[in-house]
Amino acid sequence: MLDITGLSVAYGGLRALAEVSLKVETGQFVTVVGPNGAGKSTLFKAISGIVPAAAGSIRFDGEDLLARAADRRAHLGIAHVPEGRQVFKTLTVRENLEMGAYPEAGRRQWGRTLERIHTLFPILAERREQLAGTLSGGEQQMLAIGRGLACAPRLLMLDEPSMGLAPAIADMIFERIAQIHREDGLTILLVEQRVAEALELSDRGYVLETGRMVLEGPYQTLLSDDRVRRSYLGISDE
Amino acid sequence: MDAQIFFENTLNACVSGLVIGCIYGLMCVGLSLIFGIMRVVNFAQGDLLMLGAYAAFYLVVVWGTMSVLGPAGPFVAALLAGPMVFCLGWLLHRFLLSRVSGLRTAGSLDEGHFGQLIVTLGVALILQNGGLILFGSTPRAVSTPLSSAAWLIETGPGDTTIFLNKARLIACLVALVVVVALWLLLERTRLGRALRAAADNPTAATYMGIDVDRAHRIAFALGSAVTAIAGGLVATYLSFTPFMGIDFVVIMYAGVVLGGMGSLLGAFWGGLTIGFVQQFSALALPPQLQNAAIFVVFLLIVVLRPQGLFGRSADRA
Amino acid sequence: MRPGAFPRLRRDALIFAVLLACYVVLSGVVTNSYYQLMLTLVPIWAVMGLSWNLFSGYVGLTSFGHAVFFGLGAYTVALTMNAWNLTPWFGIPLGTVVGAVAAVLIGLPTFRLRGHYFALAMLAFPLVLLYVFQYLGYQEVSLPMKREQPWAWLQFTDPRGFTLVALGLLAMAFGISLAVENSRFGLTLMAIRQNELAAAAAGIDARRAKMAALVLSGAIAAAAGGLYACILLVVTPDAVFGMLTSAQALTVAMFGGVGTVWGPLIGAAVLIPLAETLHAELGNIIPGIQGVVYGLAIILVMLLAPEGLFWTLRDRFARTALPPELGPAPVLPTLTLRAPAAAGPVLRVENIGKSFGGLRAVDGVSFAVARGEILGIIGPNGAGKTTLFNLLNGVLPSDTGTAWLDGEVITGRPLHAICRAGVGRTFQVVRSFPRLSLLDNVLIGAYGAGLTGAAATTAAEVALARTGLAAQAQREAGALTNKELRLMELARAVAGQPHLLLLDETLAGLGREECEAVLSVLRELRAAGMTIVIIEHTMHAMLKLADRLVVIDRGRLLAEGAPRDVVENRAVIEAYLGRKWMAKTCST
Repeated sequence: MLDITGLSVAYGGLRALAEVSLKVETGQFVTVVGPNGAGKSTLFKAISGIVPAAAGSIRFDGEDLLARAADRRAHLGIAHVPEGRQVFKTLTVRENLEMGAYPEAGRRQWGRTLERIHTLFPILAERREQLAGTLSGGEQQMLAIGRGLACAPRLLMLDEPSMGLAPAIADMIFERIAQIHREDGLTILLVEQRVAEALELSDRGYVLETGRMVLEGPYQTLLSDDRVRRSYLGISDE
Repeated sequence: MDAQIFFENTLNACVSGLVIGCIYGLMCVGLSLIFGIMRVVNFAQGDLLMLGAYAAFYLVVVWGTMSVLGPAGPFVAALLAGPMVFCLGWLLHRFLLSRVSGLRTAGSLDEGHFGQLIVTLGVALILQNGGLILFGSTPRAVSTPLSSAAWLIETGPGDTTIFLNKARLIACLVALVVVVALWLLLERTRLGRALRAAADNPTAATYMGIDVDRAHRIAFALGSAVTAIAGGLVATYLSFTPFMGIDFVVIMYAGVVLGGMGSLLGAFWGGLTIGFVQQFSALALPPQLQNAAIFVVFLLIVVLRPQGLFGRSADRA
Repeated sequence: MRPGAFPRLRRDALIFAVLLACYVVLSGVVTNSYYQLMLTLVPIWAVMGLSWNLFSGYVGLTSFGHAVFFGLGAYTVALTMNAWNLTPWFGIPLGTVVGAVAAVLIGLPTFRLRGHYFALAMLAFPLVLLYVFQYLGYQEVSLPMKREQPWAWLQFTDPRGFTLVALGLLAMAFGISLAVENSRFGLTLMAIRQNELAAAAAGIDARRAKMAALVLSGAIAAAAGGLYACILLVVTPDAVFGMLTSAQALTVAMFGGVGTVWGPLIGAAVLIPLAETLHAELGNIIPGIQGVVYGLAIILVMLLAPEGLFWTLRDRFARTALPPELGPAPVLPTLTLRAPAAAGPVLRVENIGKSFGGLRAVDGVSFAVARGEILGIIGPNGAGKTTLFNLLNGVLPSDTGTAWLDGEVITGRPLHAICRAGVGRTFQVVRSFPRLSLLDNVLIGAYGAGLTGAAATTAAEVALARTGLAAQAQREAGALTNKELRLMELARAVAGQPHLLLLDETLAGLGREECEAVLSVLRELRAAGMTIVIIEHTMHAMLKLADRLVVIDRGRLLAEGAPRDVVENRAVIEAYLGRKWMAKTCST
């Protein structure tokens, strides 16, 4: 479904991504892990079009994504749950979800989708009229994910959903994500710092370090690969 | 001073404060769409008001197109000024403002405010002086038989009479209708939500598939239109020149800041308050100082309480 | 004076003198009275532009209300001449004082305001005065004509007299601006404009500097207003307090070039004749043509050449940068550290904490930094490391806890005071002053710490030498690479002669080799006696550099100790990689 080849991104003089390649097949759950500053968020921003690509290609179901403006990409069925949640603080929970359903596809199935979101995250139904800015971190994360689901996407991208959350809540979020993948068969691309939690849920994993893909493989291989730990903690081969 | 006269004057000041305040509220609402939603500082806001006034003037007096509507003519003309200035606002944003605002400048140090200030100052100068060239400096007015008619309400102790100028009252009602319509647009429609989302978080809005640039353009054009309608309404009870904008710019900003930045209703209340202040100051101050009083109030607000009274959430000051 | 100032000053003064002479000749030749008036007005508006530039150009706070000073100057002259028979030769200086006082009164409340609020507030002041003066009955104040010895009253039968006086005023304003631009004060102002926070962290008292700039600016604008009154012989509120006056001051400076003495001169020389000629020729048919011209001018400038004509032209025709000379093999100059000879830890932190709303960003952190140590602060993203620095440095006030520098409490003290106590800081996002030389960029650090003159220059040069940038000292900062920019930040902090350096992600975005270069600089600094605390994400660099590591996770201190130990620490691994990782890898 998503095919990235040789993607390079430069950020104000800095080389954020260098020739990154990545594949996500329909129905798969793919995780990208890596230490701080590895470029994981930049990868998502390039897919969403917020950041321009210097070289390489991104194809979504055969379509050249780079040829499309950033605000058109959601309409293709790509949902981006951003780093730090980025909910609309001055809108209510309900309005946030409605914004998620902005694209045509979302609006068509809105009734069903909303029900599904409420089943997964009952608290969002409870706090429908509350201003999103007053929710707790975990609740905002749930809202952000719900908002991502609202457009009935074909690909759900989650950027560090566990960041800043207490471990118990982060675990719960991961569980829900797994549930979404399992029950709805949604294709998921996840970026995380919490390696094991993330890899465990996924079919495939990629390790990104300072802008380059250094490892990839099915999750069992990565889990037992000590190079992952060393990459995070900076114990390099040199 | 005679207590009864004092009471009567105060009551009348209250009433006219309310009436004028609603019109000020309308123009503040127009500004809040621009300043509050887009966070763009628009120096030319007062001149958009002026254009609205002149649009109404031309429709009613020069071209006489509203005569078929009788006394309601000027008010309909004021409403029609809206779409006319909407187009101008659209063009202004498309060719000028979009280059110094929105996503293009979102990351920079001052969020592009310097550029906006300068560009809109240029627009203001051109509109004011262009207006001078096109319309001449003679003060104009859009008068109707209603302008000099008033309802007299006899009430209260003694012979207290409240003067309700008919034209002003109708203008006030029209203003209220427009504010309510706008509120409904923003709160209940998909477009309105998209505008608010784009204002709240442009990046996230882009992720949702909203064209933030276009959202800003609509907001700007809408804000311009609303302010122009207010201008058309002002024209029905005040005489105006191409330079009227300067006086009203400070009134509008005072109202928006007083009411709190992100809130449409707050801006309305802010404008209402300023209207009150002005009418009350008429009791104590000579005409030349009334406007000065408003400016002083503005300075006080900006210095003492920049977050306003009714701000919706923690807004930047 | 800034280093290298004198040759610049001489050159600029010479060019100005030549231009002045040409202008005098020109005014001698022109006989048409309207054009003579125009020749007089050009220098006056150039002075207004210079005054606006002094404040808004150098400091960066846009003022839309300089008319307030202009008007006050004009009215002072007009009213004193009418009431006390005071000659404008005294009236203008008096107006200058009035302008200065007004600047203080205006600056006090408005300096707290940010960008656009400041602009709006400044707009309101002249408009208030406009109404007040109208109310007071001063709609039209004429200056009495003096038949005998008119020159004693600054009135001339030959209009060229006015031109000469105006040129004299211009020369003074130019001289002042030139002096400011080349002085320590001017550099301080420019630093504030570029990044007020970094300037404060370098020790600059921003409020005082801004006030000084506004007072100077107001005084000069008032002088211009006073002279204007003498020329026109009648003062009306609209003419001197009106928006067009403020707009003209701004436009003239912006059009010609912001932040340089030449800008207002170019702007006035181009725009005033243009507008006045159009007004003269077409004023009857198209009144208000002046305003339209100015409006168009500033829109075009903003869109096409936002920094003004001067800079755009200079960029176009500038010579290519001189290649860096390869100096002699670097023998590192001795680093002077203004360090008190004290025992005990340089920095001690106890239970420091800060909350934002409901979020506890830093929670009861305690540690100590030994003299001459390199301490690394690491932790997952968003853990609160930069906030910790902000608390130590004085950028943010702490809610709880105390920090001691050499045994003295620093929590609660303002940013620039902590800098002067000997703490240097770099920030995550490097902001340089792109049009200034590298040396000037680094000088800010020296000035901020209170050094002056030659001592400051030496400190800056030493800092540059230590960071290996000595050869680049004269290059414009805008041309530097990422690594060089980071080293420049470092040099700026070192130029203040601190004995404790707080470095925030100095290595971010650097490649392997570049990283190595910076690391060796840091090691040499430590060898010279500097104590360094550094936040970093580049783990492998930290392992090589730091003596000790402190790990912060979710605002709390998680672990501390020697790097190898910390990295093997289970709690740390868990914080970075997650609990399940620990579970998995421990069971294998």
